[in-house]
Order: sequence, then structure tokens, then C-alpha cells
Amino acid sequence: MAVKRQLSMVMDLNKCIGCHTCTSACKLQWTNRNGREYMYWNNVETMPGTGYPRDYAKMGGGFDEEGALKLGQEPSAEDYGVPWEYNYEEALMTGTDPWLRPNVKPTWGANWDEDEGEGDYPNSYYFYLPRLCNHCENPACLAACSRNAIYKRQEDGIVLIDQERCRGYRYCVGACPYKKVYFNEEISKSEKCIFCYPRIEKGLPTACAKQCVGRIRWIGYRDDEAGPIHLLVEQYKVALPLHPEWGTKPNVFYVPPMSPPKIGDDGAPTAESRVPLDYLEGLFGDGVQSALETLSRERQKKAEGGESELMDTLIGYRHAEMFKLS
Amino acid sequence: MTAIPLRGLAAVIYAASAFAAVSPAFGDSIVEANVKALGPGDEVAVSRIPDGVYLRSVNDPDDMIWERLPEYRTRLAPAPPVHESVALRLDEDDPGMDVYFSLARTSERFYVRLRWRDETRDAATLRDRFRDGAAVQFAIGDAETSYIMGTGPDAPVNIWYWRSDANSVESLAAGGPGSTTRLDAQPVSGDSLYQTGEKPAANQWVVVMSRPIDTEGAHQVSFDRAQVPIAFALWQGKDGQRDGLKSVSEDWILVNLAAR
Repeated sequence: MAVKRQLSMVMDLNKCIGCHTCTSACKLQWTNRNGREYMYWNNVETMPGTGYPRDYAKMGGGFDEEGALKLGQEPSAEDYGVPWEYNYEEALMTGTDPWLRPNVKPTWGANWDEDEGEGDYPNSYYFYLPRLCNHCENPACLAACSRNAIYKRQEDGIVLIDQERCRGYRYCVGACPYKKVYFNEEISKSEKCIFCYPRIEKGLPTACAKQCVGRIRWIGYRDDEAGPIHLLVEQYKVALPLHPEWGTKPNVFYVPPMSPPKIGDDGAPTAESRVPLDYLEGLFGDGVQSALETLSRERQKKAEGGESELMDTLIGYRHAEMFKLS
Repeated sequence: MTAIPLRGLAAVIYAASAFAAVSPAFGDSIVEANVKALGPGDEVAVSRIPDGVYLRSVNDPDDMIWERLPEYRTRLAPAPPVHESVALRLDEDDPGMDVYFSLARTSERFYVRLRWRDETRDAATLRDRFRDGAAVQFAIGDAETSYIMGTGPDAPVNIWYWRSDANSVESLAAGGPGSTTRLDAQPVSGDSLYQTGEKPAANQWVVVMSRPIDTEGAHQVSFDRAQVPIAFALWQGKDGQRDGLKSVSEDWILVNLAAR
């Protein structure tokens, strides 16, 4: 879907420390009330892992190779995790309850499998994957809506749900293969990440990007050749979309995680990386190996005291250079 | 109980009605005897409830009055898909179903009563659960209007949509698929009853929707005319039905409004 300009985000997974500050920023800004309590428009999941909602990658949606919509399923409340609260007032303030406890029995939630990962010592591994709406070039949610209630803004490509037109059919929830559209049971309408458009319109980055303590996020327009997105995605090709095979053409990109060598049975490092290449290719497509090689090469340059435009960009010295919103 | 004096009133209607022969027994199951089947283009007259006779509540689905009014049935089949999202989920093997309906008016209100078999009562709208629903559609113009949600903005339809989760009725308008819009004025009210039988197959929904005859306003169907085209739709929540995933009657049934 052609738009005049497209905002985009790059996240460097080598820098994400899994602190969930982005998630907290998003939740406090948008989803801690009014039927959205269970929603994480932004979340950080441990990979390999089940993801959020649970096993979302197996729930279908997206497009087939001919470009036709694929059937997807709507996750259940349990797949997302039923949010719980604590009796802080009674347990800590009034003392009327001797126990601090949740109001529902927690059985599952986002990050239930945090830091589990895969493999055995010394070759166990995991990394963090922050996820939000990809504001896709070819949004499956938009294609699936029978009422044209979902639209993509011409000026920045942000994908939004018109709350006046939405009648809560939930085709979009099933169609998004990333499961980043959520059904609000209080109002019987679907809602999703709005790329903090009220902030963007004031020249501010999204809450998740601004609050990121690891400074892993860059925001800019795809067509800004002097901006960070163009440099990372087009020029050095180190930032890749998640699951490009799902056919939605995401506008959120990831710098794949580098990893130390796998340790062989003899205790010596092997030529394989600890995070298996085929695993990363299963997430980010064919460009992974080339991206990792470029990252290694540029990192080496910097280590040797040389200049590297790519490394200087990825370090993210100044927010002004990380967020190019005009 | 209030039913006792009402039985007397119902007898008055029974005697006054030209449809005295039609008095379906109303029990645990839908009885098909004496229920006339109507199809595309058939005409049917609205029944008259005499002045001074009232339902126990405005939209009482179980009032004895309904036993004294003629009931009709028409066949519903899966609606032709008009969007990829519907086509993807369409159940090709869905055999369709019957809806039973009565049409009545007083000098002040127009009533539609529907009942249909439904083994499951789905009255919640949750992330992965869908509600039962029913709709009555009226052509605002004549029967040239497409019975599939109207023919564009110049030939729209007025839809009364009953939703089981809120047990309420919305007045909607549409001018073609995908254009359904909730109207600013909401003059239609309704009520429902879910009756369970000895076997689940005998379970049924009974829904009454009604509106003052003299309702003004854009896209609210006018009953101030000789004939109004009517169509029906049902949604089975258990099967994830919503939007165009529904069972619909084929083409219009023509309701003569000059009650005998």
C-alpha cells in the first residue's frame, strides 16, 4: 500500500537488556486502563520462547505466496495471560490481610518463560525480542477488515483503527500474524499500537523508544537518506524484518544478535555461533548471515581504532541522531 | 398472576383475529404444524393487536398474545460472502435453518417476533467468543433494493440488530456491504428469552423487537405506507459468526401494513 512517507523503527537486539522499560512506558501511556489491562502494545519476549501471546507464531494469519489472506485464530484470554493485581492496600497499609497476594491465580502471562531460552551449558542461549505493531506496508489487519475501519496514514504510514467504524468483528486480530491487534472486551472494539502518533505529531519519538535505557531504538522515515533507518536497513542492510515470509512487509526492523562461538565437546570454541544461524534465519530471513558478517567486520574496524559509520550509528550517541522525525 | 386477565384479553384477540385458525402450540420444541412457510417475494399481512390490549412488558417475548397471532417461517442459508474474511471462514456444509416469525402492530407500535432453534446460548462477546444475534432488515425504498445490505447510499436499508450479550437492539443503516452504521436516534427496543427443552436440539431463542410506528429520522424505516420489504438474519455465536458470516433469508418478503 503506497503512502507518501513511511515512519519506521530499527531495534538493535545486541543492545537489548530485557529491562521492559519500553513495555512499562507504553503501558503507562496507553494500556493500563479501560479494558486494555491485558494488552501489551509493546512487549519484550525471550527468544527462543513461546512469545506473546503464547505461541502466536503458530496461530496463522498474514498472506500466502499468492498474496491471499490466510486464516488466523483469535487468541484466548489465557493465551495472553489474565492480568493480576496485588492487595497492596490491605497487606501493606491497613494490615487487614496478613498476606500480599495476587487477586487471581497466575497461571500464565507475558514473559512466563522469561530467560529460559534453549540449549545446555556451556551452549545455552537466549536473547530479547521487543515487539510492537510493525505498521506494515501490506497490513493483513487492514486487508481483513470488512468495514474499511483500518487505515494507513498517508503522511507517515502509521496503521490505525477507526474506533467509530470498528464493530468488533476481530478479523484483524486473527489476520495479524504478529498478533498485535487486541480486542477490548469493555467496548467491543479492537485496538492496537498507534506508534504514539500524538507524540510523533509533536516531533517526539514513541514512548517505547524515548524511554529505552539500552538506546536500542531508532525512528525515522524510510525515504530519509540522511537518516538512521536508511543507513541501517538499505545501506548496510544490517536491520531485517521479523518473519518476512508472512507477507505483510513490516516497517519495524531488527539488527540480529551476534553471539560467541559454540563450545565443542573438547571445550574449545567451534566455528559455529552459539545462537544457531538457522534459528535466526527462521526469524529474520535470508539476510541474517550477511548482516552478522557486516556487523563483525565493522565492529573489528572500531576495535582496531578505525572509523565505522555503522558502529557510530549503532552506539547511538545522541537521541537527536537516533530519532529523525521530520 | 397477570397471565389470568391477559388470557381473557388474548381471547378477545383470538376472536377478533382473522387468523384464528393459526394457533401453534408453544412448548419445548418448535412446532411446525400450521406455520406457513414463506419464500422470496411472498406477501404477508401484519397482524393487528386491538387497542387497549398490551403485552405484559413492551417487548415481552413470552406473552400469550403471541400464541394468538399467526406465525410464519422462512428458510435461512449462509449469506453469500462479500469479503475475503468471510469467504475464508464460510462453512460450505452449513445446511441452513428456519426462522419463525410473527409480525404485529398496534395503532402505536410495530412488532417483529423471531424464534429459532439454537442448541447453545452464546451471550458473551470475549476475545475468542462470539455472541448470538438476530436482525430484521427493511428496505427503506421498494423491493428493488438489494436484500444484501442495500444497493449503495441511494437505496439503503434499515436494520434492527438484536445482540444477545446486551439483550438490546440497535437501529442501523447500510447502503451496501461494509457500510453498516449505527444511527444517531435509537427508537427500537427489544427483549429476549432463551428456552431450554428436554434435549438441546429443542433449545430456542425468542426475540421481540419493536418501534413506535410514527418514528421520524433519517434511515428509520417508514411504516406509513402499504407495503414494506423485510428480510432476516441470524448469527450463531458458537460458530464464530459475526458480520457477513450469518444465515440470511433469500430476497425480500413483502409485508402488507394495512392490518386486517
